[in-house]
Amino acid sequence: MVRDSAIPPESFDEILDWLDPDRDVAAEKYVQLRHDLAKLFMWGRCLDPEGMTDETFDRVAKKVHDVKPSYQGDPRLYFRAVANNLIKENFKKVKTQVSLDDVDLPERQTVVTTEETAGIEECLHSCLQKLDREKRKLILDYYAKEKQAKIDHRHELAQRLGISVETLRVRVFRIRASIEECIESCLKRKAQRK
Amino acid sequence: MKELLTDALLREFLLGKVDEEERERIEGLFLTDSQARERVLAAEQDLIEDYLEDSLTAADRDLFLARYGQTPAQQRQLRINKSIKNWALRETASTHVVPAKISALSHLRERLRLKSPFIIPIAITALIAIIVVAVWFSSRREQQNRHLAIEQELAQLNTPSSLREVPPQMAPLELSPVAIRSVEQETEFKKTADTRVVELRLPWIQKERYATYQAEVRRVGDDGSFTIPNLQAEGDGEPVIRVRLPAHMLHRGHYQIQLNGIASDGSMSLPEKYQFAVSG
Repeated sequence: MVRDSAIPPESFDEILDWLDPDRDVAAEKYVQLRHDLAKLFMWGRCLDPEGMTDETFDRVAKKVHDVKPSYQGDPRLYFRAVANNLIKENFKKVKTQVSLDDVDLPERQTVVTTEETAGIEECLHSCLQKLDREKRKLILDYYAKEKQAKIDHRHELAQRLGISVETLRVRVFRIRASIEECIESCLKRKAQRK
Repeated sequence: MKELLTDALLREFLLGKVDEEERERIEGLFLTDSQARERVLAAEQDLIEDYLEDSLTAADRDLFLARYGQTPAQQRQLRINKSIKNWALRETASTHVVPAKISALSHLRERLRLKSPFIIPIAITALIAIIVVAVWFSSRREQQNRHLAIEQELAQLNTPSSLREVPPQMAPLELSPVAIRSVEQETEFKKTADTRVVELRLPWIQKERYATYQAEVRRVGDDGSFTIPNLQAEGDGEPVIRVRLPAHMLHRGHYQIQLNGIASDGSMSLPEKYQFAVSG
């Protein structure tokens, strides 16, 4: 996707202020919003979620000055509406098969290589070393079984910990998200070293 | 409102099966409510896990791959998830199997001392059973990994950007739908050491055109199949759908391709079938 401008600093400040008057909270919300919008684009089957998230912020930046004073409700819902329009535009483009050259597709990468898999394994190992022992044990227990057996196993695990299965699931999700983040950074570092 | 976010509904949402109004509601909660956000992401993890365990139906697997297996970043994410899961299973298997082996061995030694004629064969059989199970478990995991790697490679080879490039050592193969080529001989592909990629050209003879197409590739006699979603038709007259396959996945035998059109509302057309044989 071709964007014609970067966000001017004053618009960026206005966006942050709109997200939250407290600058630190706003910065946190901004980072999370970027991540969440990329998810919406992925769910909307867009091939370049990051690029479309940039485009969403660009579009909001152009309107924020006019929209902000009169907008009622959580501003993140306005971002969602802009993102949704972009998803529809993208879908129309694909559907009508307008020249694919207009769409900024992610660059082709090499197919799965053993080197890449080995890199992930290596990073996983190093990230698990950094993980708190209790968390490591919890992840290990949670994924100890597969398919049907895992359902009973997770109920037992939740009971043992004195929490609901739902709480267990969210707890594991947080640990797992931190491992994934660690692996991603580790892979990035490896790529930079090459 | 949050109470209405059941696991079943979230799964439908993640696979793109909910209507516009429901999607708006869930996405709104996802963006603005931290608890709802975590629930959606946890449900997403469950969905990914089910995909990695091959527990999704064929239709859900296709919908899943169209959302989670398209870009290199998404594919890497799946591989990371798979690694975490494999690590946990490996660790669990090793902590459970090793003590079992030790205890079986010490048990065997004890019985040998007693020289019981019945216990020795039983113990040996048990040991063999443990080894067979361990070998089976490891080969099954290997098979699953191989299948996942090929599925990801197929997704990668068939993205619009990849299809615009012409890789070296690519062999084209024109196929006709089975319905109109019933009297002709089956198209044969002679595999050579040089060929890296085979590009199938599948003419779409149905009148109706679709937003996307998906192909399912199956080797006759094999259990599994590979699905390639999000394909595009090309050409102004009779459209053609190009599908690229890595040559290493093709083995001597007969292959069948089923091609379906996918409408914008997710509904599927009647299939067109194609087949070819691999020799050499």
